[in-house]
Amino acid sequence: MKRIVILFSVLLAAQIAFSQAKKPTIMVVPSDAWCNENGFVTEYDNQGTMVIIPEYKKAFQSSMDLQMVIAHINGMMAERDFPLKNLESVIKSIEQRTAEDNLTMSKTSGATLAESPLDQLRKTAKADIIMQLGWKVNQNGPKNSVQFILQGIDAYTDKQIAYAAGNGEPSFSAEVPVLIEEAVVAYVDNFAATLQAHFDDMMENGREVSIDFKVFDNGSGLDFESEFGGEELADIIDEWLNQNTVNHRYSKTDGSENYLYYEQVRIPLFNASGKAIDTEAYAKDLRKYLRNTYKIESKVMTKGLGKAVVVIGEK
Amino acid sequence: MKRIILFLIAAMAVSTACMASSKSKADKDTQKWRYEIECAGTGTAGTYLVKVWSYSKKQATATNQAVKNAVHGVMFKGVAGGRGCATQRAMVTDPSVQSAKEDFFNRFFADGGDFQKYGSATGVPEVVKVGKEYKVGVVVSVYKDNLRKDLESAGIIRGLSSGF
Repeated sequence: MKRIVILFSVLLAAQIAFSQAKKPTIMVVPSDAWCNENGFVTEYDNQGTMVIIPEYKKAFQSSMDLQMVIAHINGMMAERDFPLKNLESVIKSIEQRTAEDNLTMSKTSGATLAESPLDQLRKTAKADIIMQLGWKVNQNGPKNSVQFILQGIDAYTDKQIAYAAGNGEPSFSAEVPVLIEEAVVAYVDNFAATLQAHFDDMMENGREVSIDFKVFDNGSGLDFESEFGGEELADIIDEWLNQNTVNHRYSKTDGSENYLYYEQVRIPLFNASGKAIDTEAYAKDLRKYLRNTYKIESKVMTKGLGKAVVVIGEK
Repeated sequence: MKRIILFLIAAMAVSTACMASSKSKADKDTQKWRYEIECAGTGTAGTYLVKVWSYSKKQATATNQAVKNAVHGVMFKGVAGGRGCATQRAMVTDPSVQSAKEDFFNRFFADGGDFQKYGSATGVPEVVKVGKEYKVGVVVSVYKDNLRKDLESAGIIRGLSSGF
């Protein structure tokens, strides 16, 4: 028996020691300012307000400079064993998948694939970290120089987690693509260094995520002010988060009887058995707790590694 | 004949002592890491082009230490920007690493150590006399991508994909 316990402990320790956290995906996207500056936008009137949205596909089809810069950044990140998702390829994949889904039907009844309006809305290019890229060529007499900005935005917390920005050396002779290439070479290391600091923080203090809690309006009368054993549901959830976050770090940004918004929730990268987890797996642990302890059903919806929505009431 | 042999032995001894003295002087100066590092332009992909100003009472000593100082600067100090250059952060961000991995760094920066693989001096040194010593500026191309990869492999710094 003792041997089995020792063997089990060793295996568990080995699993924890060699576990790999879930790797975030990163994608380079031209910034809205760059798209607007270069005319790769569409404008439409939204009830009296002019809205400008970027046209990434048009930008990729028209700008060689954009392709070159993204290829450079992708190459330099791949060289650091961190290959990026390519926006142009992702857009093509989404179009291909949508076309295939539209034509897919069963052989027996001719039924098409089930798809909710929410599913349709979610068919967009996604990544856990968005690298917003922008540059501008400035002219000062006969000299050209490049102003360069690269921002890493966490898609779930909306925080800027990495950056590199600056102005290149003015040049009489160098062509604009050469100046842009020089800017990429000069600034990517700084970007990677700040990104590394973010990852180091994540390894030490857990992944920073956001979790929204909502209630199904199913007429049951259940909301976050409903009491269980003298405790309001909102307080039960708050206490669970307090017990299950790294160093008890989380912030409740807003809440009412119908919703609770939590941000800066530091979840562990691994669960007790050493398995790498994301926000969905973390929220599912809470769902199990609510069901087993208070007989409350809930539904967990994921929005990537760092965001989940828990809807209370039913599945 | 005997005198000639004695003279030759004495000459060799003096020469060896001078070389050893120069070497130990260089090591002494290097151990204090007395140097300034600045950007010298945008290097080709995978390299930093830096100018290192090393100090020594002997011009040759300062010149000889340029590559060692340049590699040390890229690793521990970073390179200040300006004149169109971007500021580059130090590769080793954890200050405790230097003492925790002292053996590694002693071997790395020893004469003939691995630091030589990561830099090469280019151009003509610029010499300025400052008081009783020389300040020698040498442009060095530091192979930062290779350096970073090897430091990651040696466990000195973490790579972007570490832990994932």
